[in-house]
Amino acid sequence: MAVIHVPRPSRKAMNPHRPISSLLLTQIGHLQHAERRLPLRYRTKIYTHAIRTEAEAAAYIYEVTEAIHQAHADAADRRAARPKGKGGRKPVAQARKPKRKGGKKVATSKKKKRSTKKK
Amino acid sequence: MPTGLDKLQHIVVLMMENRSFDHMLGSLQVVDNRIDGVTDQLRNPDTTGAEVKPQPLAEFQGQLNPDPDHHFPAVDLQIFGGNTAPGRQPNMQGFVKSYFNQRGDVKHSQKIMYYFQQQDLPVLTTLALEFAVFNRWFASIPGPTICNRAFAHYGTSFGRVDMSPFDILEPYKSIYTRLVNATPKRTAKVYYYDTTSSTMEVVNLLQNQPELFGTYEQFLRDCDQGILPDYSFIEPNYNDHETDGGEQLANDQHPDHDVQAGELFIAEVYMRIKRNPKLWASTALLIVYDEHGGIYDHVVPPACPPDNFTASANNTGTGMEFKFDRLGVRVPAILVSPWISKGTVVNRVFDHASIPGTVTKFFLGDYAARSPRELNADVFIEPPSSPRADCNLLSLDSMRTDCPEFDV
Repeated sequence: MAVIHVPRPSRKAMNPHRPISSLLLTQIGHLQHAERRLPLRYRTKIYTHAIRTEAEAAAYIYEVTEAIHQAHADAADRRAARPKGKGGRKPVAQARKPKRKGGKKVATSKKKKRSTKKK
Repeated sequence: MPTGLDKLQHIVVLMMENRSFDHMLGSLQVVDNRIDGVTDQLRNPDTTGAEVKPQPLAEFQGQLNPDPDHHFPAVDLQIFGGNTAPGRQPNMQGFVKSYFNQRGDVKHSQKIMYYFQQQDLPVLTTLALEFAVFNRWFASIPGPTICNRAFAHYGTSFGRVDMSPFDILEPYKSIYTRLVNATPKRTAKVYYYDTTSSTMEVVNLLQNQPELFGTYEQFLRDCDQGILPDYSFIEPNYNDHETDGGEQLANDQHPDHDVQAGELFIAEVYMRIKRNPKLWASTALLIVYDEHGGIYDHVVPPACPPDNFTASANNTGTGMEFKFDRLGVRVPAILVSPWISKGTVVNRVFDHASIPGTVTKFFLGDYAARSPRELNADVFIEPPSSPRADCNLLSLDSMRTDCPEFDV
């Protein structure tokens, strides 16, 4: 069978300044719900009510999704580092220092970090 | 037992956004009259009383702005034509009226009837004609995205008909939890596009089981290495954004995102599986849309057995409670596998509860703790031991070698 050509989208299709849809607004709301359950040090400083465009939504979505993964990765690290045996356990909250200093994340994750540029 | 079923090891579901069957695949009626698409007889009244016909004038972007309303009250109007009397019957006569409500522009409201020509969508229409297309796959709820996607993950929306976060109520578990907790252990993953697009299944799974998630980039690698999990659920890119890798165009096809970007994405997923011969022989790929997005479809959604939940009149916004006893509007759905006969048209009724229903039945067998809706939903792949094995779509004795390829 012949290879079928798939037309590429127009270059004009990209519009990060497009106003956010109700779907993205919902996604932001859900992530905000999740963010509130994160320890303070993982939370963003983004004011979600001021998000108007897809680029702004993307920046927030990225921050919270990374923070959720980071919080779980840090917890797994602490779990692995915890000494085994009787009396050797430390409370989880004291096991390791927070990864974030001065509002910036210290790269410890094995995951490749991707940045979101705002236009 | 059919050879394809014996070889099947992976089920992959790609769920796109907000397009109806008639809008995307309705043009195929003239190519194959077994496909229940658009005909000359179809009409919808506008607010002046004039009859509006479906027309093949859909555009890739810029036409459905504002985003057509697809929340519960709007879909009620679309399905029942504005009739709220007791004993009312669905007639699919309220789509133009519903769209008019958003902009008050009669001419613009008629665009909700537009559909794509076959040549506009070479990927979706080719796959529909080459593999199995479902004439009766409906959204699970006549409502928006989140509650419909919940049915794909949990087999229920836990009583929600809206977009708010929901709580998981025992005993129902996500299909992913069921699989990874099984003995013997099964594997499952939700591949979201990237962390900047993330998932629409945020509050529950991502918060509690982030290990279930991977990116689309990982999906591509897993395909190449032949290490896809038993069950994969792929989410498209939900927003336009930039990364270090360049511009990332939203490819979910949600209005007003570019439809061609979605075509390209579907082709990439298909080709990545196909390029690994072992994976291609052992994978079934379902391409399906979460809901119709307020866009016209002519098939009346059927009634169905109720769920264990009731949405109150206040929550539905219609003044009437909803017992989850009617499906949502019809959406495009295509099952792809080299073990499916070319030109298969399926007329049985499915909805998104069929997804966890099928995956559970195929990989886990009997599993009681499921919602009434899921237990009643038909399955699109019968396990080899099923007495209904003759319903199987992967029915060929030898693998096809004539499957299409795309230049992606």
